[in-house]
Amino acid sequence: MSADLQNRAAQAVEMAKAAGADDAWATASQGRDVEFEFRDGSLEKVKDTTSRSLDIQIYADDRYSNHQTTDLSPDRLEGFIAEAVAITRALEPDEHRQLTPAELFSGRPTDDLDLVDSAVADISRDQRLAWCESLDRVATDHERVISATAGVYDGTLNSASASSNGFVGSHAQTYCWYGSNITLRDEGEKRASGGWYAGGQHVDALPAPSDVARIGLDRALARLGSEKGPTVKTAMLVDAQAAGSLIGRLLRPATARSVQQGQSFWTDLVGTRAFSEKLTIVDDPLIPRGFGSRHFDSEGISASYLPIIENGVVRNLYVDTYYGRKAGMKPTTGSASNRVIGLGDHTLAALLKEVGNGVYVTSWLGGNADSTTGDFSLGLRGHMIENGEIGRPVGEMNVTGNLKDLFSQLELVGNDVHPYSQTLSPSLVFGGVDFSGA
Amino acid sequence: MAIKRREFLGHMALGSAVLTMPAFLQGCGVQNATAVSQATPENPFMTWFGVDQATAARVMSELTARGADASDLYFQHSRSNSLRLEDGIVSSASSGIQQGVGLRVVIGEQTGYAFTEDLTMPSMLAAARTASAIASGSAVAAPQAFNPQGTGDLYTTTVPWSDVGIDQKLPVLKFVEEKAKAMDPAIDKVAVYWSDADERVMIATLDGKLVTDHRPMTRLTVVVTAKRDGEVQTGYSNIAAREEFDWYSEERILTMVKEAVDRTMIQFEAIRPPAGEMPVILASGASGILLHEAIGHGMEADFNRKGTSIYSDMIGKKVAEPFVTVVDQASIPRERGALNYDDEGNKAGRTVMVENGILKSYLHDQISAKQYGLGPTGSGRRQSYKYSPMPRMSCTFMEDGPHTKEEIIAAVDHGIICETYTNGQVQIGAGDYTFYVKNGWLVEKGKITAPIKDVNIIGNGPESLKRITMVANDARLDTGGWTCGKNGQSVPVSQGIPTVLVSNMTVGGENVS
Repeated sequence: MSADLQNRAAQAVEMAKAAGADDAWATASQGRDVEFEFRDGSLEKVKDTTSRSLDIQIYADDRYSNHQTTDLSPDRLEGFIAEAVAITRALEPDEHRQLTPAELFSGRPTDDLDLVDSAVADISRDQRLAWCESLDRVATDHERVISATAGVYDGTLNSASASSNGFVGSHAQTYCWYGSNITLRDEGEKRASGGWYAGGQHVDALPAPSDVARIGLDRALARLGSEKGPTVKTAMLVDAQAAGSLIGRLLRPATARSVQQGQSFWTDLVGTRAFSEKLTIVDDPLIPRGFGSRHFDSEGISASYLPIIENGVVRNLYVDTYYGRKAGMKPTTGSASNRVIGLGDHTLAALLKEVGNGVYVTSWLGGNADSTTGDFSLGLRGHMIENGEIGRPVGEMNVTGNLKDLFSQLELVGNDVHPYSQTLSPSLVFGGVDFSGA
Repeated sequence: MAIKRREFLGHMALGSAVLTMPAFLQGCGVQNATAVSQATPENPFMTWFGVDQATAARVMSELTARGADASDLYFQHSRSNSLRLEDGIVSSASSGIQQGVGLRVVIGEQTGYAFTEDLTMPSMLAAARTASAIASGSAVAAPQAFNPQGTGDLYTTTVPWSDVGIDQKLPVLKFVEEKAKAMDPAIDKVAVYWSDADERVMIATLDGKLVTDHRPMTRLTVVVTAKRDGEVQTGYSNIAAREEFDWYSEERILTMVKEAVDRTMIQFEAIRPPAGEMPVILASGASGILLHEAIGHGMEADFNRKGTSIYSDMIGKKVAEPFVTVVDQASIPRERGALNYDDEGNKAGRTVMVENGILKSYLHDQISAKQYGLGPTGSGRRQSYKYSPMPRMSCTFMEDGPHTKEEIIAAVDHGIICETYTNGQVQIGAGDYTFYVKNGWLVEKGKITAPIKDVNIIGNGPESLKRITMVANDARLDTGGWTCGKNGQSVPVSQGIPTVLVSNMTVGGENVS
């Protein structure tokens, strides 16, 4: 598999050179994906697919373009690449558009990242059905259940890249996810819903389907009787899963591209204490079985440990080669791998006790942030925290503020990481947050 | 890693759906332009792959060898192009070809699905056998020949995008940049993003229909960054349609550029409104996002046949005042959400979801229509050959009401007007939905008093419908490039609305006492 893809990528680079490109970078990919969806006692959908594609980046006369096709028949591929070179020549020159320098390929780690489980390719139809039935049995085990959908998703991704300046590399990983979404009858026409999924590269590391479905059902049951929360300024405890998404919003403009384009509140923050000293975030591409683990990034830059924020001080941004050159910044990587948030020593229960009274956020609903200013406003669902305990369910509320200010108001960090994500965050507590509700 | 890591969130967020503007602020991933073109034949399947009626019939027969109530072959060839201008130069282009066939078998509520990008007979037969594994009955009689349906005329073009070279498009991007920079000395940076696509589909169905559709699409976006006294603000605007190159008139482009500059500059003065519940005026056009989130998704019949939508038991009931009529209509020429046929091969048309305040009809695909004993509404859509279809919106809007915009503003003592949006989302079961307001205005004692920015608004679908107390007579469709995401599939949509007053919604804001 890997050798075939590697050959396909190398041939594409040759075709580009033959068509007049100065340089080229090609990636050939192939994937197998299987989905089983099971609803209320019977199989509802089976999808079983194999897909493939070729990506190529062309450099010619200081000009650049990139192209993708799923049509890999050799004669048409040659025409496609010749056209790609012609497209490139029709653009304007840009001295910053250059292939990744070969020195950034050096020092590529060889750690065993353990991203492939050979058992995934052998998962049988009967096994998937058994998982679905087990998920369904638990997920529907409540009188208020209107409908429950169980899903099993598994597959394999393979890709290989080659470049005209000597890059050769491949990546492979398997995955297997399962879980349930559950809808319950609530007051009037309202339905409460919730769900939970577990996943990873390795089948044997997954919790039992019945345990996964139990969490999903409990999360749905927790939504019953949800009412609009209050308009109040108070403490906000964000659970580990929702915290990962908030961290994603914080880091979205932490890139050379955003800074160079004048669209980032991270401009001029490197080296300064911009956030609470409780906040530490590292980009770590070499975690065994990590969802974002890799030996090199999409530009071929060798993977390395990259501190983004250490105790509130900004250390690095995500810098790719193009915007790095434009902004005069040394490239780190243009794309996130695993984002690891430094842990505190509080359990969730201890955090609730510390907060005493406030709002416990379990999921977001819509909302957005302005990357340039950091202003944000997000819809949320969760519970009131009353006397250190999880209280009544609330929703139909917004939280509004500025991301830079919010992460300066980070007061407590938990030790309860949500494991099924590329962002490994625990629960977080922020002080003095503006909520709008009733 | 060109095949994206599986978007699990898409699957896990069942029961929730999102609507977004393009993610250009995070790095544009769209596609690009053509200098010399391999002309795309009008029916590439026939010309390039020898997929004729006999081939389709042979694959269909394999697909239905274990039984089927319905089945279809969805051939697709999509060629897309994009261009990017940053820092004064057009130095990045992309192009993409997506080609493949999706094969689907439906038995009752069960679906078997497979696709292949290799359009050879052995590969298509193998995919057909994979998809058919869901069934365990005996073969049904597949058609020996297909009956070609008339081609639609909603977005006929004279010059396909494949015949428009970069030399024609590049000056458009330069023009946008030049005009944006000239509009205000505070403009520091201008980025311009262009995209166009020619998509061709051919759908063959078990009941013998053969549908072909050529679906053009284009979008132009400008992002403006302005600096004043050390403060930086960013704003943008875009226009999109199933159109051809001539659509980009100077006037149309200038209107877009002015919008982007105005939206950026006003942010230097804009404040966050006070937090809490208040009357909300939705300006005409893009505020159709309210309909998309508050009712549209909840009316998609897949949620209702499963009983998971808050609207599941409400057909025939009064949900709004008599002057509220909400429609989903694919048959609006050249709109981004327009379709001649849906992705199941049914003629796409007009579905009245709410008529004079009464909940009338869900949006159906074939599976739900059959379950409800109704005809299809032509709402079965899919992102590409890689996905099975489900009920989706096309162009969603509210018809004119009896009031005027001026009457509505005068009626509000303390509230806000929402004007531009970036995204929205809905929780199907609870009915809670949100949309993010990028620009708007504070209204005090019936007068507009100050610009506002960056607030999320949250409400409950059925409750908000009941609270629509005034509807003006200025309905219009938004021209922006909206994309709707549901269960991991994205499709282009349009939305529109007249000026509307919702008597009470929860507005995100600051200054909580």
